[in-house]
Amino acid sequence: MPIEAINWQLLMPELVIALTLIIVLVFDLFDAISKTVLGWMTIVGAGIALWVSIQMHYAGTVGVEFNQMFKVDNFSLFFNIIFLVSTILVTLISMSYLDRGDRKQGPYYLLILLATLGMMLMAAGNELIIVFLGLELMSLSLYVLAGYFRDSPASSEAGMKYLLLGAFASAFFLYGIALIYGGAGTTSVPEIAQAITADDKSPLLLAGMFLLVVGFGFKVAIVPFHQWAPDVYEGAPTTIAAFISAGPKAAGFAAFLRIFMEALPNLQVEWGGVLILLAMLTMTVGNIVAISQTNIKRMLAYSSIAHAGYVLIGLAAANDDGISSAMLYLLIYCVMNIGAFGAVILARTEDGESLMISDYAGLGTRKPLLAMFMTVMLLSLAGFPPTAGFVGKFYLFKAAIGSELYLLVIVGAINTAISAFYYLRVVVTMYMREPEEELEFTPYASTLVIGLVIAAIGVFLIGILPSLMLTPAQNSVF
Amino acid sequence: MLLSIVIFLPLLGVIAIALLRGLGASAVKGIALAIGLITFVISLGLYTGFNADTATFQLVEQKNWIPGGVSYHIGIDGISLWLVLLTTFLTPVCILAAWNSVEKGLSGFMMSLLALETGMLGVFCSLDLFLFFVFWESMLIPMYFLIGIWGGERRIYATVKFVLYTMAGSALMLVGILALYFQNDNSFDLTTLSGPFEHSDLLFLAFFIAFAIKVPLFPFHTWLPDAHVEAPTVGSVILAGVLLKMGTYGIIRFCLPLFPDAADKYTPLIVTLAVIGIIYGALVAMVQPDLKKLVAYSSVSHLGFVVLGLFSKDPAGIQGSMLQMVNHGLSTGALFLLVGMIYERRHSRMIVDFGGLSKRMPIFATIFMIVTLSSIGLPGLNGFVGEYMILAGSFVGQAFSKVYVVFATAGVILAAVYMLWMFQRVMFGTLDKTNESLPDLNAREIVVMLPILLFIVWIGVYPKPFLSKMAKSVDVVVTKVQAEPATGHLKNPEMQDSRLALQETQRAQREKIEKEAQQ
Repeated sequence: MPIEAINWQLLMPELVIALTLIIVLVFDLFDAISKTVLGWMTIVGAGIALWVSIQMHYAGTVGVEFNQMFKVDNFSLFFNIIFLVSTILVTLISMSYLDRGDRKQGPYYLLILLATLGMMLMAAGNELIIVFLGLELMSLSLYVLAGYFRDSPASSEAGMKYLLLGAFASAFFLYGIALIYGGAGTTSVPEIAQAITADDKSPLLLAGMFLLVVGFGFKVAIVPFHQWAPDVYEGAPTTIAAFISAGPKAAGFAAFLRIFMEALPNLQVEWGGVLILLAMLTMTVGNIVAISQTNIKRMLAYSSIAHAGYVLIGLAAANDDGISSAMLYLLIYCVMNIGAFGAVILARTEDGESLMISDYAGLGTRKPLLAMFMTVMLLSLAGFPPTAGFVGKFYLFKAAIGSELYLLVIVGAINTAISAFYYLRVVVTMYMREPEEELEFTPYASTLVIGLVIAAIGVFLIGILPSLMLTPAQNSVF
Repeated sequence: MLLSIVIFLPLLGVIAIALLRGLGASAVKGIALAIGLITFVISLGLYTGFNADTATFQLVEQKNWIPGGVSYHIGIDGISLWLVLLTTFLTPVCILAAWNSVEKGLSGFMMSLLALETGMLGVFCSLDLFLFFVFWESMLIPMYFLIGIWGGERRIYATVKFVLYTMAGSALMLVGILALYFQNDNSFDLTTLSGPFEHSDLLFLAFFIAFAIKVPLFPFHTWLPDAHVEAPTVGSVILAGVLLKMGTYGIIRFCLPLFPDAADKYTPLIVTLAVIGIIYGALVAMVQPDLKKLVAYSSVSHLGFVVLGLFSKDPAGIQGSMLQMVNHGLSTGALFLLVGMIYERRHSRMIVDFGGLSKRMPIFATIFMIVTLSSIGLPGLNGFVGEYMILAGSFVGQAFSKVYVVFATAGVILAAVYMLWMFQRVMFGTLDKTNESLPDLNAREIVVMLPILLFIVWIGVYPKPFLSKMAKSVDVVVTKVQAEPATGHLKNPEMQDSRLALQETQRAQREKIEKEAQQ
């Protein structure tokens, strides 16, 4: 294909990120430049890519490129928005977090950008191989990021664990692709859909499909493939835990949605029931295990598992409402979850982070701003109106009722009540318990507060005016 | 616009306090009280502007909110009018009552109280199921803080239990709301909802359980004593005064008119639970050593009456229930305030710690006496009118066996037993030495109590202005529950006659009471 024939306009967001990546790489070589500048470059680059994505979504600049392998549609553009918002927020909360000791910061931003690029590839992949490439680009960057604090054994352990289990997941995924190729004779999404007819379902396809479920299950932490998540979240740098729980999870779901709704709709009879079961299991196990956690990062890890279960409701509903509400939920979830991790980072003492929930006692009076941010994010995660979390869950449940999945919605709704218990327990600790020992908290870093303010505004804005994001999401269903 | 102003003015107060709390405690209290009073005064405009001759929703505002069937749709009818007024009335009373009793985090306390007011008003005015649910859930958060931060020793247990019970109930209601949405032409609008619905049995239960937990109907009541005992005085007042009414309001707004068949089917079960609640609540109240717990269990008993009246499907019974909701809000609210006042002085709520208080605190004893009698249902005070109408309506309504009414009436007697016994032990007998220095009510506390007493007597002597405004709206509910879905005919034509006869008796009764009061 001659290079002139490529419609580069379609690749603008990806190109902007790639360019930013190179700039960060080059500027990292100069010691004279303060490393926070690299962070700001990342934010500006992601911001431009975000703006371009929004413009393209708004203008309807869509198309297929590179021999049908790369598909830019409203779906992928909406996910670009999710990824880039996550990247910007994570970078904002990272800047002060990294800025201590002699930690190298350059590669950190580089890897974040690389992972973002991988996610964008996953969302736009119209070909299983491209999806896999994106997945690997994202995952490899994340493995390094999880083990980024080399001097911390916990971080190294997290990186190692994530690498091993992630490699397993990738293998499952790749094997699934191979079997689907065996069954359908192609790896292109639209061609697979054509190859599978309702009455001709080869066992190869079914086996491949289930292996894909396993692969995705690992990547987005669905029970029973979730075991890595709590350990990795706990050990990894908190900012990276926030990152892993947000963007990559959304990217996993983007590919999940694309492949299952667009390539395998004719197998819906087979995967529909499985997803319903997995959704129920994921929500319930995630929420119940979260109750007994004393470490806030582990609690948020189990909560993020439960949230993957909520998103699965949208997939299980398997209608247009289900897709759009899953997308809306992922956006909301990324904002509020990064916000919650940001609040955890805000609660830092001189010796490190205070991660035990009991350390938060009395924060309501001693650190009102921090306690307020944390409360807003947790209430949103619990799904109380008028926060975005409520709107997200509401539309997921609505989509499922539209497909008459009453039991699934009842389980989901009861899970919401269960989850309120442990989210509120943190609020109880902050406002209603007296501290046992006076912890000296470090002063707030301005970039961190900016990030949290953006997240809080987002949570309330979407909560009160959901159509701001709901309508774009509804227009993004492929 | 008027209704929106009433609903959201308290929220404005929350923002004002958040911004101005640097000005000090008295400024915060001043802002809160001013906002509470202004809201009440504006809400009086709802009363004067209310047209009692129609059952349609009034002061309606409707704006598209979210594409896809969600609108900001509010309005009031004769049913919600009184609950709105009760809310706007009790809030400034509570703010004044909490004047000196909040030791820490005063601005947070007032903000929670005002935010709670917005939430409760929103629940009563919403004509859109989505909006209703938003208010229903968001109101939990300020109450959660009120109990959890400013409550008693076991406050955390109580507040978490309260929130989880309510959330478990509302989870089911959410499913019900969504299922209704698809049977309502993809809209959450309440006014366009018309049955019969598919799976109406299950939908009825989904809504009813959420409301039964809130009421609370036996056996869902176990959160209530904990929440009441641990809540600060004002929290208890709002809880008993308004929050519980959200449950009974939900029943009359959703369960009865939307699912008449299912309501019919479950009436025996629900009425049995209501009567058990009446008797059980009264018996448990009788043996409580703690004043606040006694009042809390008396709520279980009183709300049993309200549910009984609602399911009588008789205009008098339902009107009586509506009136009793207001009555209970006034008298139980007043009881909690009084218990709070004595607790502030003595730091004990145990009945054994008191005795002979009437000698030391005559004003307190007098007010306590009036409120106690109102709670018992003495003719001439508000409680009597409501309970009488409920029992009479249930008796002629033929919706359930008269045996239930007989047992419920026994509850009235039991109420007299536990309330008067409590009053006797606290007020009469020998005055303990430790209680000799207790000061009587001060001017502020009297100002807090006086408006409540005014309404207690007013409703008892001349309930007509209250009943006449709700009559039309109640009639609509009655026609809906009595109509066969297919034909629209009344099930019992003779009921009309018995109703007229009852109204005649009631009027005679009232006139007699008025005459006595004049002499």
